[in-house]
Amino acid sequence: MIPALAIRNYTLDYVTAAEPVHVLHDISLEIMPGEVLGLVGESGSGKSSLAWALMRHLPDNAREVAGSLCLGDIDLQRLSPRELTKIRGRRLGMVFQDPSTSLNPTLTVGRQVTETLIQHRGLKPRDADALAIDLLGHVDLNNPAEIMRRYPHEISGGEKQRVIIATAFGCRPDVILFDEPTTALDVITGARILELFARLRRETSVAALYISHDLALVTRVADRVAVLERGRLVEQAPAADIFRAPRHANTRALVDAVPRPERRLVHDKPRDQVLLAASDIEVQYGRGGLFRDPPPPATKKIGLEIRGGEILGLVGESGSGKSSMARALIGLARFSGKISFDEHEIHGMSDMNAAYRRDVQIIFQHPDSSLNPRHRIDEILSRPLKLYGGHLGDIPDLLNQVRLPASYANRWPHQLSGGEKQRIAIARAFAARPKLVICDEITAPLDVSVQAQIVELLLALREETGTAFLFITHDLNLIRQIAHRIAVMRRGEVVDLLAVEDFDADHVHPYTRELMAASPVPVG
Amino acid sequence: MTELFIRLMRKPQGFVGVVLLALIASACLFGPALAPYAPEKIDFLGRFRAPGWQNWLGADQFGRDILSRLMVGARSTVPLAFIATFVGSAVGAIIGVGSAYLGGRTDEAIMRTNDAVMAIPGLLMALLLVSTLGNGAGNAVIAIAVAFAPGMARVTRSAALNVRNQDYVKAAIARGEGAPWIIFREMLPNVMAPIVIESTIRVSFAIMLFATLSFLGVGAQPPASEWGLMVAEARQYMHQAPWGLIAPSAAIALTAIAFNLLGDGLRDALNPKDEQ
Repeated sequence: MIPALAIRNYTLDYVTAAEPVHVLHDISLEIMPGEVLGLVGESGSGKSSLAWALMRHLPDNAREVAGSLCLGDIDLQRLSPRELTKIRGRRLGMVFQDPSTSLNPTLTVGRQVTETLIQHRGLKPRDADALAIDLLGHVDLNNPAEIMRRYPHEISGGEKQRVIIATAFGCRPDVILFDEPTTALDVITGARILELFARLRRETSVAALYISHDLALVTRVADRVAVLERGRLVEQAPAADIFRAPRHANTRALVDAVPRPERRLVHDKPRDQVLLAASDIEVQYGRGGLFRDPPPPATKKIGLEIRGGEILGLVGESGSGKSSMARALIGLARFSGKISFDEHEIHGMSDMNAAYRRDVQIIFQHPDSSLNPRHRIDEILSRPLKLYGGHLGDIPDLLNQVRLPASYANRWPHQLSGGEKQRIAIARAFAARPKLVICDEITAPLDVSVQAQIVELLLALREETGTAFLFITHDLNLIRQIAHRIAVMRRGEVVDLLAVEDFDADHVHPYTRELMAASPVPVG
Repeated sequence: MTELFIRLMRKPQGFVGVVLLALIASACLFGPALAPYAPEKIDFLGRFRAPGWQNWLGADQFGRDILSRLMVGARSTVPLAFIATFVGSAVGAIIGVGSAYLGGRTDEAIMRTNDAVMAIPGLLMALLLVSTLGNGAGNAVIAIAVAFAPGMARVTRSAALNVRNQDYVKAAIARGEGAPWIIFREMLPNVMAPIVIESTIRVSFAIMLFATLSFLGVGAQPPASEWGLMVAEARQYMHQAPWGLIAPSAAIALTAIAFNLLGDGLRDALNPKDEQ
């Protein structure tokens, strides 16, 4: 049988001013018809470059040094641009990572679906309309005719990804490339997209290459898993085996880094004394106008208590108000309600004095945007020292504390990797010697292994300083490893506040149970 | 600073811009000493003399040497235009970033006032100010700076609004930094690129505005050899002696191009990400 997609000894370089960068090295992969191959690797391992090479959409400085790419019996590298347009979409579909950027914001959803069908399947507009409605209905979108008339910003991220998947399957391609299709979505939406993918796969028996950094997730959707490390294929195995018996050291590291709720990383108990008590916190963005009502509050009079040295997890899907809560506590959002911190009462942003601002620090989700690109690392770290008192000579110690060499002080943020930037953000927060650190989804944009290192670092810093954490995340498996208590938020309300041991109990809120079901638990 | 200059010189645009500006600057500094004739020396036999060995760029309606007038006039044209643009851009940039930082109703109030000022055409505004403050180069500089500030404020604000939403600004607010630090050290460096580009383009506008003011009789007065005035005077003899119009226009264009190239170079040099 001819494989649906065959990559043989493929080597790819990027030519740069300095020297060629070897992106992919001697890659050989085969996908049989109807098979799903998972491709796992950290960022920078070349997995997206492989997808773009298959789509024949490489940057100008890419050089294909050796090897061949075959779709069935077609040699993809030999195709002319005109032949390529007949292959792309028609025989080789692709679903991208971020649904919000892969639809054109100025065209209706219907137009974008039918255009593809008219192009690739040669349908008349009326037939394409009918088929599009059929396809959108098939991916469980309610009222597809209505969705067709809407613009991309009028539907949710999950709905957009369904539209894209419907379009990709609608052209009945031989192979579909999925490039992290659920990474940009929240857990429950992502889990539903995966269910949809599994169902469509059974129905159409399409072959797929599923690219992801999340090994746990890939083992659930793929038949076989290939692990890519710095452009080299280090291991290929059936999905069921790779978790149980990883052969290569890199795979083993990936497997170990996957958070498992049963492997607790924190064993101590928090102190009894309450550090921060927030009650009736209501965050309201935007006022009502003359003729319109104000939008609903982002958080509805919620209360939280954090004890000294405690790690409180705050989980929920996007839009549940968990980040608004953080913004209120740190003094970035106007709020009503009361915060008691160390016997000091705060009723609004103006009550937050320098002592409070020093004691409560925040680390943001995106390390790229939380460090000013025009400041060197030493300047970034010097600010809290100057504001809250401290020696500028402490900067090497701060770097050392987050396991970075002192020479990094002279660097610019863009010269650092994502994980290193996040370490700098952590060092900046700890430079103030805070009593409470709010971590707003700080591990979400990082690779699993980097994520594990960052969590380990935070826990080590906690050992040294006794700091309490408010750890906001959507990764339930991770938070169950480290938190003492977990609050579950939904639509601005806390629906559950449980000690971590009680998570498996029966009396949890149905939403919490849904969230647990959606969190990919590693196979094996 | 030297590091910035080295980075600037490495870019072809930056290099050409710097070389051209160095030529213009030397004309400003040493123009009168290097000029072959006195700028106001009248030669009745040489009226409208075509460019040649006697007058390299030709002569005007009084037989004055155009090259000499250009070299001497550089001093009263380029520095003033540059200062006016610089002051206008700086004021506008600070208003724009400040407005974006403050946000909400304050932002609304500042920007609507700004719009009201922008509704008055720049030239009219400049005329109004010069006729109120009185003739003279200094007042013309102030007038042009005031006319430029609102446009710069608007350009800067739109760039600053993006920066305002970045986490590093939020982090600065959360750790209790003062407004001056956030505006000048966190936000301003990140909106420099559009400011630099916009203001280098505006230098050429400023030269033209000066020329217009001179033409209308409220800027430089004849027989001064200000470039804009030279264009205005040569206009009526355009068909007899086009070189009288072409030479100062080319000088203005060259200055504008030099500033634009420098702007392009600076934009790249100011961005630490471009470091190789």
